[in-house]
Order: sequence, then C-alpha cells, then structure tokens
Amino acid sequence: MAHKTKRLWKYQPLKSSYDAVIIGGGLHGLATAYFLAKKHGLSNVAVIEKRYIGFGGAGRNTAIVRANQRTQENLPLYREALQLWPVLTKELDFNLMFHNCGNLNLFHSEAAMKAARLNTASGQFHGIKSHLIDAEECKRMVPALDISDRPRYPILGAMYHPPGGIVRHDAVVWGLAKGASKHGAHIHQGTEVTGIEVYKGKVAGVHTDKGKIKTPRVLNAAGAYSADISSRLLGAKLPISVLTIQAMVTQPLKPLLNHVVSSGAYHCYANQTLKGEIATGAHMDPWPNYTNETTAHYIKHQAEALTEFLPCLAGVKFMRIWGGLADMTPDMAPIIDGNEPVEGYYIDCGWGYFGFKSSTVTGKYMARYMAEGRCPEILKPFALSRFKEHRLMGETAALVNYTPDN
Amino acid sequence: MKRLTHLPTLKIDTSKKISVYYRSKTHTGWYGDTIATLLYADGIRVFGRSLKYHRPRGLYSLDGECSNTMMAVDGRPNVRAETTMAADGMHIAAQNVQGTSEKPVESTPEKDWMGFMDHLSWAMPAGFYYRIFHKPEKLWPIAVSRIRKAAGVGVLTSGYTVKGRYDEIYPATDVCVVGGGPAGMEAALSAADKGLRVILMESRPWLGGFYDYRTSLDADGVPLYRKANAMAERIAGYPNIRVFKNAPVVGVYGNSMVTAFQRGGRDRPFEQRYIEIQTRSIVVAAGCIERPLLFENNERPGVMQMGCAHRLARTWGILPGRRAVFSIGHDLGLEAAIDLADLGMKVVHVADVREDGQDQRLLDELKKRDIPFSRGWTAIKAGGKRNIEKVTIGTVNGMRRREFSCDTLAASAGLTPVTGPLATAGAKLEYHHLTGFFLPVKLPDNVYAAGRLLGLNDPASVEASGRLNGLRAAAACGVRVDSELKAAEAETSVLPGPVRNSKMVTAPVKNQKMFICFDEDTTVKNVDQAMDRGFDVPELIKRFTAAGTGPGQGGVPGHNLPLYVAQRGDSPDVDPRPITVRPPLTPVLLATYAGRNHDMHKRTPVHESQSASDGRMDRAGVWLRARYFSDDRRSRREIENVRGNVGVLDASTLGKFRIFGNDALKALQRVYIGDMNRVREHRMTYAAMCNDDGCLIDDGVIVKQAENDYYFTTSTGRSGATIEWIRYHTRYENLDFHMVNLTDAFGVINLAGPNSRNVLQKIADVDISNEAFPFMGYREFTINDIIPVRAMRLGFVGELSYELHVPSSYMQAVWDLLEKAGKSFKIKKFGLEAQNTLRLEKCHVIIGSESEQRTTLCDLGLGFLWCKSKPEANTVGSVALRQTENQSGRLKLVGFKMKNGLERPPKDGSPIVDSRIRGYVCTARFSFTLNEPIGMALVEDSYAKPGSVFGIYENGCKGRLIRAEVVKTPFYDPTGERMKS
Amino acid sequence: MSRTITCPVCGRRNGYEFRFGGEDKGPRPEEEGMSPEKWFEYTHLNDCKAGIRKEWWFHRDGCGVWFTIFRDTASNREVVRPPERELEAVP
Repeated sequence: MAHKTKRLWKYQPLKSSYDAVIIGGGLHGLATAYFLAKKHGLSNVAVIEKRYIGFGGAGRNTAIVRANQRTQENLPLYREALQLWPVLTKELDFNLMFHNCGNLNLFHSEAAMKAARLNTASGQFHGIKSHLIDAEECKRMVPALDISDRPRYPILGAMYHPPGGIVRHDAVVWGLAKGASKHGAHIHQGTEVTGIEVYKGKVAGVHTDKGKIKTPRVLNAAGAYSADISSRLLGAKLPISVLTIQAMVTQPLKPLLNHVVSSGAYHCYANQTLKGEIATGAHMDPWPNYTNETTAHYIKHQAEALTEFLPCLAGVKFMRIWGGLADMTPDMAPIIDGNEPVEGYYIDCGWGYFGFKSSTVTGKYMARYMAEGRCPEILKPFALSRFKEHRLMGETAALVNYTPDN
Repeated sequence: MKRLTHLPTLKIDTSKKISVYYRSKTHTGWYGDTIATLLYADGIRVFGRSLKYHRPRGLYSLDGECSNTMMAVDGRPNVRAETTMAADGMHIAAQNVQGTSEKPVESTPEKDWMGFMDHLSWAMPAGFYYRIFHKPEKLWPIAVSRIRKAAGVGVLTSGYTVKGRYDEIYPATDVCVVGGGPAGMEAALSAADKGLRVILMESRPWLGGFYDYRTSLDADGVPLYRKANAMAERIAGYPNIRVFKNAPVVGVYGNSMVTAFQRGGRDRPFEQRYIEIQTRSIVVAAGCIERPLLFENNERPGVMQMGCAHRLARTWGILPGRRAVFSIGHDLGLEAAIDLADLGMKVVHVADVREDGQDQRLLDELKKRDIPFSRGWTAIKAGGKRNIEKVTIGTVNGMRRREFSCDTLAASAGLTPVTGPLATAGAKLEYHHLTGFFLPVKLPDNVYAAGRLLGLNDPASVEASGRLNGLRAAAACGVRVDSELKAAEAETSVLPGPVRNSKMVTAPVKNQKMFICFDEDTTVKNVDQAMDRGFDVPELIKRFTAAGTGPGQGGVPGHNLPLYVAQRGDSPDVDPRPITVRPPLTPVLLATYAGRNHDMHKRTPVHESQSASDGRMDRAGVWLRARYFSDDRRSRREIENVRGNVGVLDASTLGKFRIFGNDALKALQRVYIGDMNRVREHRMTYAAMCNDDGCLIDDGVIVKQAENDYYFTTSTGRSGATIEWIRYHTRYENLDFHMVNLTDAFGVINLAGPNSRNVLQKIADVDISNEAFPFMGYREFTINDIIPVRAMRLGFVGELSYELHVPSSYMQAVWDLLEKAGKSFKIKKFGLEAQNTLRLEKCHVIIGSESEQRTTLCDLGLGFLWCKSKPEANTVGSVALRQTENQSGRLKLVGFKMKNGLERPPKDGSPIVDSRIRGYVCTARFSFTLNEPIGMALVEDSYAKPGSVFGIYENGCKGRLIRAEVVKTPFYDPTGERMKS
Repeated sequence: MSRTITCPVCGRRNGYEFRFGGEDKGPRPEEEGMSPEKWFEYTHLNDCKAGIRKEWWFHRDGCGVWFTIFRDTASNREVVRPPERELEAVP
C-alpha cells in the first residue's frame, strides 16, 4: 500500500476579495464553505480562523450524534444530519468513522419517562427510530449498568435510539477542510477578523490582521466567539451566554460499553471511543467566560455520578479532562439568521453543546441560504426574532438555569 | 536473582517477604517492593505488549510515565506496576497480550502471536484509518468491531467491583508545597519557620527526591541520601508541617486549590483517598523526569532510563542486568554508571551526547574504573527480540558507529522539568534556550516555582531555591520576611544558576522505529507523515498521530514532540511551543475521585413513619417523598378515601417563607403577578410568579401577618431559589425587607376529604366550623394546648381540606394525633400519585408538569391571577404577558376526555398530531371518581376550544392514533362546592 | 477554591458558593410604553464581552446578598475595579 503524502488542505495567500467570507474554522464554517464551493458554485470563499481549524468546539466535543430531540423544529434537521455521515465519508473520501452504536438515554423517574415518551413518539412520528425499553433490556444491552435499587436514582428504563452513535470529530474537521480546499475554498489559519465593513446597510468587507477583504457576504460561525464578534464588530448583541463545558476520558479499555449511555438525573453521559477510552461529560459551570479551564469539582462529580450507575468504572482511571466553550441560548436551540441587521451578514451560532451533531447539515442549508439569499424552510424556526416574540423553542421543557432571569 | 541487601539507601524491608501470583507462578519479594521491582527482581523482563504493534515492553522508568508496565491486578486493569506497592496475594496479569483475556494459555508477554503486527507498521502510517476501511462502505462496520477489539489496553469486566475504602479529605493550609525533594523540603521548612501551616505533597512513598538514592557527596562532604534523611527528620519535628507521602498531585487550580490522591492499602485505613487542599500560596518543586532518547527500538525491554537503572540498584537492591551500555546526556547518567559499576555491574561503554560540559570529577572517576567514555555519541539502535542483546552507538552526526553486546541500555536524552502543576495553575511557559526546558515566564499570583524544575542542578542551588520560594510563599500569606528574603535572594545569586542541557532529540537514524510515544506506538516517522499532510502545530499532530493521548499522557512525548516539530518545521526560527498539559497530572481511579459519595437528600419530619407504613419513597428534587402506600400504581383506594372520607398527606416539602420590613409589600408587588395590596390577614390569597418571558415559574398562597409582614408558600422545587429571586429582582433599589426561609422549620400536613373537619375538630383547641374557619381562611391555633399550628383551608385536591403548618419538631406528634383522631373515620395516608390524580380532576396545574419553558401564565388559563393595573410595580413578567396575551399559535392548556369509548388514558408525554405535531399530553389518568379517563394537554390554540377533537400519537402506535376531545374544565366539582362546604 | 468570588459581607470564598447573576445592565426599565425591542434587549441580549466587565453575583451558600464585581471573562478571574480610563470601556 503506497501512501502518496499530500497536504489535506492547501496553503493559499489571502486574496483581497472573496464572494463569501466565513468567520470561524470550526465545523459549521468548514461545512458551509464545503457546500458553498461544491453545491453552489461559490468556490471563491475564504474561511478565516484565528487559531487553527478545529481548535474550538469542533475538537473538544465528545462526538455523540443522535436525532432524538424534543421538538419538530429540530428533529428533521438532526435526522438529516445522521444520514449525512456515510454520504460525506464517501464524498470526502475521508473516513469520518461514524460508529453507529445507538444511544441509550436512561430515565430514573416518572417525569423523565414522560419526557422520553414525548421524544420517542415525536421521533417515530418523523420516521426516526427510537423506542422505550425497560431496565432489564438496558442491562442486556449494557451489562455494566446497575439496575438494582442501590443507586441514588434507580434505572427505570431508557429511550433507545438505534440510528445514533459517535463520529470521529477531528476527522470531520479534516475531511471537510480537505473537501472545501479541493473545491477551491481557501482556509486561512492564524488569521483574526478585526472588523466587518458595512456600506449603505450592506456588508462590504472584512478586516483581518493580515489584510482587508472585499466581500458581499459574511457568515459569523465563530462558535463561542460569535456573540462577542457580533456585538463588538457590528453592535448586534445576541441572547447568548458563553459557558465552559467539560469532558474527560478514562484510560483505554477493551470493549465495555457498546452504546452511548446518558442520564439526565446524573447529568452524565458516557461512551467508549473506538480507541477504547470511556468519554464522559455533560456538566457546565454557569459562569460565562472564554477560558477552557477545567475544575476539580467537576471531575469529582463525574466520578461520583458514573460509579453510581456504571459501578465497574470505579476500577478505571481518568487520564485527561478538558474544557470547551458552549454558546448557550435561553431555549437551547441555535440562532440562524441572515441579512440582519445588515444585508449580507449571516449568523449560525448559539449551538451550545449541540454544534457537532448538527454541523454538516447546517452547513449544507446555510450554504444554500447564503447562495440564494433566502432562508431554507428547515432553518426558519431558528430566527433570532423568536426571543423577542417570547416564543421559545421548547427543546428543553425545563427552564434553563444558567442565567438568573428565569 | 541475588539482591543487594547491604545498601544504606534501600527502601525495602528484607525481613518481610511478599508473594504475588503472576502467570500461575508465585513470585516473592520484600516489603517495600513495587509490583514492578518485585517481578523484575524475579527475572521478568517483558511486562506487556504495546497497543498497535504488540511489541514487547518492559521496565523503562520507575514513576509510571508510560503504559509499558501497566498490568492487571486483581481484576483491575491498567495498574501502574512501578508505583503500586506489591501486597501479599496479589494476582497480576500482563495486558494487551493476545489471548490473556480469552485464551490465557496461548500467548504470553514473551511470546505474543499478535507480535507479527510489528511487521505491518508500513501499512499503518499516521492517520491511516481515515483513508481506508470506508471503501467499500460495507467494510466499515466489520472494521469497527476489529478496531474496537484491537484498541484499548486492559480488560474491565462489567461486574467488577472495587474493594476497600475510598476516602476523601479537604485540608486547608497556608502554604502548599508540591514535591518532597530537597527544594520542596527546604521550602516547607522556611515557610513553617514563620509559623505558617504547611502541607507538603510527595508522590513517592518517601521524601528525598533526587537525593534519596544517591551516595555522592555535597559540598560539605555529606552523602546526599543522608542529607535527605536529615531533612525529612527535621520536617517530622514540625507540628505545623503536614506531609502526604505516596500522594501524587493531580491538579493545581489557580492559586488556591491543589488536588491530589494518596495511595494507602497495607497499613493504612484506606485504599486510596482524594485530597483537596485549600491554600493561600503554592510552591511547586516537582523536580525533573528524564527526556527519552529517540533511537531505533528505543523502547525494547532492557532499555531504561538512567535513573531507573540507578534507583533499581540503590533503592531496591536490584542490579538491572550484567552488562550495561549508557547513552546519556546528563551528569546524573555518569554518576549512575560509576555507581552501578561499583555495585557490580559491568559498564561496557558510556556514550554522552554532550560534546562538553561534563563534571570533570565524574570523568576522572570513569577513567579510574576504566569505563570507556565517548563525547558526542549516542545510542543508534538496540538489538534483540524480547530483551536487548546488543546496542549500536554512534556519533551524533552519524559518521561513526560501534556495537556492543549487553543486556541493559541506560538511555536518556537529558532531563525535562515536571511543570504540569505550574501549567495547570495557569503559568505561562516558554522555551528557554540555555536549559532547553519549557520554563515559567509568568506565574499566577501566590504561585512559586523552585528547585530542579527551573533548570538548577547544583544541590546547594536547589536547596537555596527552595528556601527562597518558601519565604516568598510565606510573604504571600502576609508574613513580613523582607530581610530574610533579601538574604535568601543574595544567597541564590552567588550559587550556580540553571545549567545547559542536551537538546538532541533523535539519533541519526532514518525510517526506523523510533518511538516518540510508547503508549500509542507513535514513531518519529508518524510525526513526519502528519507534518507532510499539513499538520504543523504540536496539538494537531497529537490529534492526528495520537502521540501523548495514551494512558501516560505527555509523560514520554511531552517534551520531545514540540522539540522535534520545531526542529523539522518550516520556520526554524520559531521557538518550540509546549503542548497543553491537562489534569489529572497522574491518572486517578474513579473510585478515588468518587470517594465516599454520600447520598445527599432531605427527609421530611415524618419520613420515618411514612416509610414504615409502606410508603414508597421517591425522590422529589432534593427530598424523598412518599409516592404510594400500596402496590397499586394507580392509588385507587387512597384516592377514593380522600373523595369519600378523609386522607392525610405529608406536604412538608412546600417552600415556606416570611417576608417583612418597610418595603416587603413593594418586593412582593415586583415578583407576584397579582395585586399584593389585596392580600389580607386571616385569608389566603392564591398567587403566582412569572419570569420575564411571562412563563409561570411558581405558585403558592400568601397571607398577611401584620403590616408589611407576610407568610407565603412556594412549590417544592422552587423553594431553594425564592430568596435569590426576590432579591434579584429588587437588587437595584435597596429595598428594606428581610426574608426568612421557614421551609425546614415547618412541616406541612394536608388533611383532605369530607371528614377532615370532623377529624381536625377533635384535636384543635378552637372552633373550626365552616363559619369560624371558611374556605381560603387562615387561622392560628393550638393543638393539645401546646402545639402552635398555622392552618389554611385550601383545596388543591378539590375537597374540604386543611393545610396545617406545624413546627417540624411537633410534626410527628400532630400526625399521630390526627391518625388517632381519624381512626374511627378510617383515615388513610395518601401519596403523591393519589394527589396527582385528585388535582388532575380539578385541573390544578403542577408547574413543570402542565407548564414548560414555552408556556405563559395566560397559556395555562391562569390569566385571572394577573393584575394589569399595577404598572408602577414593574412586575416581573407583566411586559411579556402583555406582548403575548393575544398572540396566536401558542400552546394552550386544555382538559380532554377520550373519544370512541376508549377506557384507558393516553400515556403522559404522547404527542398530539395532525399532519404535524400540535402539542402533547401533560398528565392523563383514569379517574375513579368520574369512572373514565381524563387528561390535560398543551395544544396549539386552534385545538384549544371545547369540542375540538385531536389525535394522539403514542409511542409505538405505528401511526394508529387515538382520539380525544377537548372539554370544559375542571372535570370534578366545577363550582367548587366541595372545597367550600 | 480554584475560582473565588469576593462577597462584600463574607469575603473571598469558593466560587461554587455563588450564583452568577448576569451582566450589569442597569435598573429595570419602566414598564409603561415598553417596546418588544427594548424589552428583548434588557431581558435577553448580552454583550458577551471577552474582557473585564461588571456583573452581578449572589452568595447563595452564604449570606444571601446580591452584589456586583468586576471579572475578566478572558481569564475567568475576579479583578479589582479597573482604573477609570479602562472602566469607560466596561459597559
């Protein structure tokens, strides 16, 4: 097997003008660039990344993919996202390593069971496979689970979602970069956007620390920094709180967990990566900040939670914890909008901790939005105006409690 | 093997034997042996097989930086044999040997049939899995299962349980010193001399650092190991120094917290314990480990670090082999070679990558012993299959080579500082050209670095650096030490500073297996491949090649990777950049992090009697509450008893508050959506709070006790946030009011049913007739002359009922009195499930059950609670209510009954659909009172009118909808006669 | 105590004792004549500034007081009140 070594994406000099500029070399930005160049013939596109591609959430999430959301606004989007992994693997000729292991969402109370029923039935209504299983079935699927009455929150059952699983997040970054570059998009790493130029109510260009760019279209897909950029460069504030979310892995083990397991009551999910590590996380400290700091408090909490419902994990070691930033909105659904407050300005942010699983499909439709200037139906529910109208999305039933105003 | 038992530096007790089982044989060592030293002494050389290529791996260091010697012990995988003390009866197994888990006899670490993988490395360049396995598509699922089986080190069975006690402690201190070597000990002593509390953390089981195994002399002619012992003895004499040995620090968080864990077992009352230290200042004196030397087969058993070879002999009395070659880059290597030669090992050659800079005295000693020495030489290749048999050394420029037969190669490129504690604390590290280390250029306030990790080498300098930084840490705690600081600074300024280190990364070999990361089998070639693909940042190379992401994290590649990347990179003028270090600095068992894992919850004052009478206690927020009192999950008898007779419910979890002060009313007006001016004495007012989106967040009742003095209740889930909420929404105004959370001070009994008055009258000291105590009335009276009760006539379950607020200490007494008084009426306890159906029949809302983030007060049909005529109060929620009042398309709360004679209620949570989802069922139950199923649902307004029929899509219905019709509410007693009677 | 917050009553304490209370947006605007835009801005919109800003905190597991501090969101650390010149940039 001879491997001809080639750069995955090309080095290109920064041009003075592009048809579209995308702020942020994360997954949403790269996916949009890829689809703009491939599907819409807009190959004169630049992705501007302040550090290196995949530095932010793209490389820090735990790569769980699923389509078992609560609302009909979200379900079709995530359903299509799941279908895209194998398609993109082929298209990009890059193995994104979609491990279709299915997700087991444990519930420990009648209220949680009710919530699981809503999600499951709503999924079924949309042709998405999910079903409820009892505790014994959970144990058959994941023998490591403790289904006795011993745990603080005994397991009553679970929502099982077969189409979900895990994907190799870095591979998606590199694959999309490879694909975007192949179709002509430029990727500029180590380049910071310092200004957005507006002329007569329209986007006219972007300023970077490496030079000015003329462009009629800008997409703000800067992840956690989207709100800061929007507010600082355009004076357009967003209903976002930027929080650190932490995740960690144990030392690698031979296969133990064959499904993604999650539990709302324990604020915890766990899955085994293809490398054998148990990746786990879910908690956020409600302190807006832009660091990736981890806390002693949380790694301890996670061990307490995991060893409750997966007691054998007491015998493994955590070897690494890291943090990433999540841009949280008041209703845990993203903000996707365009031509507001100026023509040619698009935003795709507020994904919180759902940005990975939605990245490719959002990129696909965002590219269409930017190319045609009209918002595709599937993205319409995510407009910013919903907050002004007090029509929150309902992706989470409970009031989110990371801001004080609820 | 015969061990050296006469050395003064030994840390083993040769009077106590320890036996362990490994590969169905008993291996015996001594108390003080680690698993690794015990097995090594007994001739074991191959400890396991590597992850990808199944290469044999052996003892390389002694502090557990890599997975080479990770073993399974008593069923627990990935135990670090180097840092785990051997204990009698341990069952030890090698890992990643094909066959160890399923077919234990076929393969051994020495002979692993998967060893052929090593010859297939050409097929596995960096990131190869991204480029293959997906073509054809059908191959991938098969590949996944193969990859999963091949990946991972160690087997954990799903039934594994930890044994022993895992504890946790939370000490507080003034100065925390990380590292119990000479610098750390001096730092601890100098801070302790100032009267401060000091905690000294050491990861090894003893203090001493790089002194404890060395017999070389300091400037005063004292052997270093004796010096270490003397310092440790001094420390033991300080009552204000608390020493944790065998306790690796796992994270330094900012400048005020250090976390660690301590290994116990043997003679300690815990297996391990988690330690979380609050401190005012921190001194990091964690010393150095060795930087691996990269050459062909640099991880073959028999290759070990210079310190490993030296300490094996000096600390454990084990000569690493018979014939050794040394390839080193530091004077410590010369010292080790000399000492090992003196202890009886044949040192055939010492190659030093450095051209100059060696300590002349050491060179003289080598000469004295006729040990051949060459400058500017390095190991090029280790030969031998399971253990090395020969070594090729050569000049660093690759021009000349020589080969030696030997069984041990002590190899090390030099030192690398243990800066992890500093990095996690938030220190900024930069490449330092003299030392070749990544050294702190900016430390957080109150965090100090001392000792060898600064590049110091001279013992006097190391100790002085400890003293100086101990004083600095004391000063950070507010102790005046000006003159001593000056003296300490003066002392260090005349002592030798940081020394130059070897910067060589790779031996002059190409295209051979040089492992930059052992755990992940990442070779230097793999790094080249990644860089060719455009990965130019060490962090990305890490991700692409997996280097440094294995069980040992950055322990082996942490320093070499950035050095190599900088060397090979396109811009040679760019300094190497350190890779990110993340906690835990030493991997920690989840059992240890979890510690005691106390179950924290609250119990009501009558918890015992509830659970004793078959109450099934469920969690409700922070509380445990009785859900049922029988096995009937529909609670029929409990319900019927309330409707027809009298029931009693423990509602102690309700939030209870007093608010008083000049501005109490003003504060209430801000947060309650109704008009609080209308709240009266002796009469309860039902009131609700919304958030600024108009969403209902809390409801309860309120009564006036006196002018600007109110008593009110909140829902169970909300009680924890009530004070915060009210103060938040008045925070700019400096209002004068006080709040007292009485939730735990009062228990609550809900006595409900047509006979409840008869029961209560028997024990109440006042007249409670309907005239004297009408519906929505509030009365305070005593029971049995002595027990003060706050009584309210409310109707959550829709019957004549009393809510009795009783001081918690009297709760059980009143409960018992009521049960006694109610005996003749056949009073019965009822639980939450019965209450849920009872209130459903009345369509009384439970927040979170019938409401959600999207629903406003008006959406729930509770708009009557909203007073629109108090804009001056700036009430929370009123703006949003006004803006949404007449909005269409919102979800509305409705009551429904089933169509087509269906006799069962739909399942809670089922969506309501036509061509799309229109809402969902909130709560639905079979009503025994009405003898039919009933329910409440949130549906879009187009379906909200009575008479509307909608379809319900239940989980698993496969599209077969059941139909329900919206009806007028409430279902039961619409005029409220029963509550008021 | 990796992150600490200084309570005006209780002093410097472990950050987990506190509840974050949002960016300091000034007093609650008058209800009368409130437009949806203005209300949206007050209730939901944030500056999300990466840098020093003034914000509200509540000592939940302590004395129960709301207070403001300055905090640098770029370092996630409380900072002393910045000099007036820099303060102007703090909303």
